[in-house]
Parts: sequence; structure tokens; C-alpha cells
Amino acid sequence: MAETDFRNKIAIVGVGYTPQGKIPGRTAVGFHCEAIRNAIRDAGIEKEDIDALLLYRHFDAIGGDAETTAFTVSEQLGIDPSVVSQEKYCTRSWLYHSVGMLASGLCKYVVISYGDNARSGRRSFVKELSGNKATDELAAYGDLSTMAKYAMLSRRAMEKYGTGPDVWKEIAIAQRAWAELNPRAAMKNKPLDDQGYYDSSYIVEPLRLLDATPNSDGGRAIVLTTAERAKEMGQKAVLIRGFGSANKTASPFRLDVYDENSAAAVASRKAYAMAGVTSKDIDACELYDCFTYTVEATLRDYGFFKPGESKEFLTRKRLGPGGEFPVNTSGGMLSEGYFMGLTPVSEAVMQLRGECGERQLGVYPNTKKPELIMCSDNGAVFQSNLALILERGES
Amino acid sequence: MEKLDFFAPRVSADTKEFWEGCKEHKLKIQRCKQCGKLRWPAAYLCPDCLSEETEYTELSGEGTLYSYVVFHKPFHPSLQEKVPYVVGEVDLEGGVRLITNIVNCKPEDLACDKKVRMKWMDCEEYTKPVFELREEI
Repeated sequence: MAETDFRNKIAIVGVGYTPQGKIPGRTAVGFHCEAIRNAIRDAGIEKEDIDALLLYRHFDAIGGDAETTAFTVSEQLGIDPSVVSQEKYCTRSWLYHSVGMLASGLCKYVVISYGDNARSGRRSFVKELSGNKATDELAAYGDLSTMAKYAMLSRRAMEKYGTGPDVWKEIAIAQRAWAELNPRAAMKNKPLDDQGYYDSSYIVEPLRLLDATPNSDGGRAIVLTTAERAKEMGQKAVLIRGFGSANKTASPFRLDVYDENSAAAVASRKAYAMAGVTSKDIDACELYDCFTYTVEATLRDYGFFKPGESKEFLTRKRLGPGGEFPVNTSGGMLSEGYFMGLTPVSEAVMQLRGECGERQLGVYPNTKKPELIMCSDNGAVFQSNLALILERGES
Repeated sequence: MEKLDFFAPRVSADTKEFWEGCKEHKLKIQRCKQCGKLRWPAAYLCPDCLSEETEYTELSGEGTLYSYVVFHKPFHPSLQEKVPYVVGEVDLEGGVRLITNIVNCKPEDLACDKKVRMKWMDCEEYTKPVFELREEI
């Protein structure tokens, strides 16, 4: 089989949301279950139809909660799928697994789910320490947090490729403006301007608090099936026209700030080749945005602009509502909610289904109805990348 | 030099030799005996040729600053008194890049690609290589 044989063979037929933002008193498992129930209802299938349940990468349980496992989630949904699996770490392999199971005919419906009580539980992203003890060598240098690893690459990009806080604020402000149009967004009614960005404090300089995605409570799930089966279903299908995944397994401190064979660059080349399109054909992007700089690096590595062009390309005018190149139209993880790769993917599906209300592309002034949306999922520190080009199916 | 005594590293069977070398003020890095390539982080096999034939070589500690960050937020209560501090990535000979601390400097004097030189910092439970800016000659 050639890779292009997978073009438009797999469809996303359901998306499930939950209350999100700060929702105290709930467990991660509960959010998974609610998101999955809503996703299968959206798809119009029964819970017994789920042949494979893949939980997204799950962090350690917080505050004495039981570990979140795919078994527990299955038990609480009352299902016994053929395949029950979970990514323990930040490798983004869920789509390849799904495609294998669906295209081979071994499974009819695959559900991908994420859930967390990270906000109420005040999840920390410091894995270099367990209590007062180091878990690795980085703690010896005080090199704590995932943010520090992203900040390191951000600094080098700032000095070598002409980016910096004045570019990152454009990304933060554009996404905040999108969030203003999204009733689900955690940051709706919290407008952000230049001063607001610059007033936010440095956490690991050059990155500020507002360069980072806040924690969310909540869950998100999607249902995948074959394009052929999707045609017989009630829900509008969104097709996966092309996809690619790639991993650059170097420790974060060994990554180069610009690398034409970065995980993102390789993943996107595979996705474009499978889809038979180029970056010029893409109408909008929904990208994994753990940090503002992640959006910049992803767009650059996906070929939307060249190194050194950040300042002219990344403007709130271009990326924000009414701009010529919409990015993260839900507000993204930065301003909508943190559901890992399912934040961008679910928004792309909703945009292609035309269900985004006020922020709907093609409805919001000066925007165009989208045919192709590029999504990214990014894992660890730029080490794992999944690029997906989604296309509006026939309706 | 301000003392940046953070947390004793968790040492593995693979990294033991490096950290013991630090105690003797020797920057010992693995070299593959088969293909000659230096490797860091330490590992059982050479990721290039997969040979386990390994020796250690001592590096001089002259390098260039690839990138750096300034920690403003204390990610642990014990760091309250230590912020702001600088963590940097230093390129050494043979393609080895270390995570380290940059000391004896004001963050505003730092820039990527500046020359740096190693110094040893003896902490209570461990010794680590740290770097300072090298005077331009």
C-alpha cells in the first residue's frame, strides 16, 4: 500500500465536550467518561460499538485520586472493547494506531479520549523532582519544569531568528480574541492587550505566564471510523486527507532551534504528501499550543513562513478573527482549554462541520468557509509531532 | 561564586562514572571505542553504531553557550532564595552539549554563542560543572 492510499480513508465522526475550565470536585476518570459519552452520542453510535478505546497521555493522578487508566474508564462506561490502551508518555502515536485498526478492518470505531482535573488539582509540570528528591540529573542545575525546556529554544530563536516577546504577544492576543467568540473558552470575557501581556511576569525568561497554557479541568473525546462507514452515518463526517507523525528522540537540551528535519517538519511533509496539497492550500490551522513559541515553531516547521520571517508573518491581524490566516480559532489551549491534541482536532472538526457559531469561518466577517484545516499534535518538547490535514466531507 | 546547591542528581548505572568524575573535578564523557563518537547523555550503547565498547575521555571544559534561560519562578520552596538563576546549554568539543548553570554573570551580559569556560561547583552532596563567560581575547 502506498501512503497516498490512506488519503481520505479515515473520518472523524464524533466530538465530545464536557464542562471545562475550573470545575472542582470531579475526577479525571469522570471527565473521560462524560467526554466519551458525548462523543458517541454526537456520532450516533452505541457504547457497545466502541471496538478500541485509546486514552491520551495521562499524567499522574492528583490529590489521592486513583490512577486514570483505560480499564477504569471502560469499567465506568460499562464497555468491554477489543482494544483498551493508553499512552503513558508524550509520544503522539494515537492516529497511527487508529488507522491501523480501522483500515485493516479489525475495528469499526475507535475512540480517543483525554480528561483531567488539572486546574482544581493544581497540577505541577515539574517532573524532575518527586517531593524533595531529584528524579533525574537536571534538578542538580535547578532545571525544573517543561516550560524551561521550551524557554531555552525560545531564547535561541529570539537571538537568531528575530522573534521574541513582541511576536509571542501577537499569538497570545490573537488567540484571546478568538476565545472572546467562543462560549466554552476559559478566557472568554478576559480581553488581553499589549500591556496585559507585558505585565504578566516572567516564569522562565524569556517566557511569561501568558506564554503558557493554563491548566484546565474537563475532558474531550473523538470518534474515528472509516470514510466508507462514515457515509452511512447520520453525523457530518470530517475526513483525514493526510497525516504524518515523526519523532526526534533527542533530549530537549540537544534539540536545535531550527532543524529542517525536526519532528514537526518531517510529520508535515508526510501529511502534505499524503494529502497531495501544499501549505498554500491550507485555509486555517488548529495547532497544539502549549506555549506561544510552540505555535511559531510549528507554523515555521510546517512551511507557512521561513526562519527569520516571524515578525512579519505572526501578527494578530493575520492570525486573529477576520485575519487572512486564522490560527487556533477556539482560543486554543492558551485561551480555550488544555485537552492536549484534542483541543486543536476537535475545533478543526467543528469548523469543517460549520458548527462554530459566532467564530465560524465563512460566517465571521472577512473569513472564508474552510475546505482544509491543518492540525498539529505535539508531544514532549518538540520531540513528537503529528500533523493532520482535515477536509470537509460531503454533506 | 554564589553557591547554586540545588538537588543531588539521581545517578544511574549509566551516569555513575560522570558524577564520580565530577567529584574528582574531571569532566568525563563517554566515547565509543568502536566508532570514536562522544556521547552525552551517558548510555549503555553507542546510539550511532550500537557498540557497548565504551571508554571515558576527559574534556577541557571550553565551550560556547547555545542557549540559556533565567528562572524567575521558584519551582520548589527551597529555590525562593536562589531565583533568579541561569540555566544554560553549553556546546563542548565533539558535539557534546551539556545542561549546566551559568554563574558569575548578570543575565543581561549573556548572549547565545558567547564563549564560556567550565568551573567546578562543590555542593554538599554532589559536585557539578558550571560555566562562566570567558573573557574575549
